[in-house]
Amino acid sequence: MMQETGFQGCAAKEFFDSFAGTTKEGIARKYGVRGANFIAYKI
Amino acid sequence: MEEFCEITLDRERLRSEVRNTYTQVAKAPTGDFHFHRGPEYAARLLGYDSAELAALPGSATASFAGVGNPFRVREIPAGAVVVDLGSGAGMDCLLAGRRVGAQGRVVGVDMTDAMLDLARKSATEAGMPQVSFAFGEITDLPVDDESVDVVISNGVINLAVDKHEVFRDIYRVLKPGGWIQFADIVIDQDLSEKARNDIDLWVG
Repeated sequence: MMQETGFQGCAAKEFFDSFAGTTKEGIARKYGVRGANFIAYKI
Repeated sequence: MEEFCEITLDRERLRSEVRNTYTQVAKAPTGDFHFHRGPEYAARLLGYDSAELAALPGSATASFAGVGNPFRVREIPAGAVVVDLGSGAGMDCLLAGRRVGAQGRVVGVDMTDAMLDLARKSATEAGMPQVSFAFGEITDLPVDDESVDVVISNGVINLAVDKHEVFRDIYRVLKPGGWIQFADIVIDQDLSEKARNDIDLWVG
């Protein structure tokens, strides 16, 4: 999606277990919901 | 994949629910929510520096509800102009303010008045005049074209129905050579149409 906008070098850099210990942890694990860091450049 | 994800929910209702939820977070950050808040969470699960967070006003950190840590992606240069999409109570803006220094500038954009009030109070308390806040939507940023070096965001873009619109406006405000470093949620599986249009799942 970012590339369609014109961004380059789009990448996911790191993932986080952001919902561990919340009431939504089960749903997060079931669907693979995680936090992630991204970067993208406007050249 | 997004071409196949038709979203038919009531966008105005979603916007209202998001605003209501984060107003509640601003007013009672230790309340009952489906997501973590606060500096202990940020340090333990997201890798923020606990000592750096402890140096910030509690009004900025208590309501933090990000899902990742944009500052681990790359260094933000001194003197840079930074915009934070969905800045909440301002924790990431203050961290960015420490990095850009007095010669830089950080603008946090948020659509929740209660969060903006907290953020402005926090910036004043922290003594960071280089950090300011503006009311606005992340699909229509109150920022000039090609005026920004770095865009950051943390757990907010997922709340926008039209992500293309968000990225188009980010692209508009970035200078050539600028970049976005942000955190948000990802999901490994396709969701049913019902789930994609369930506002409680969006907001929760």
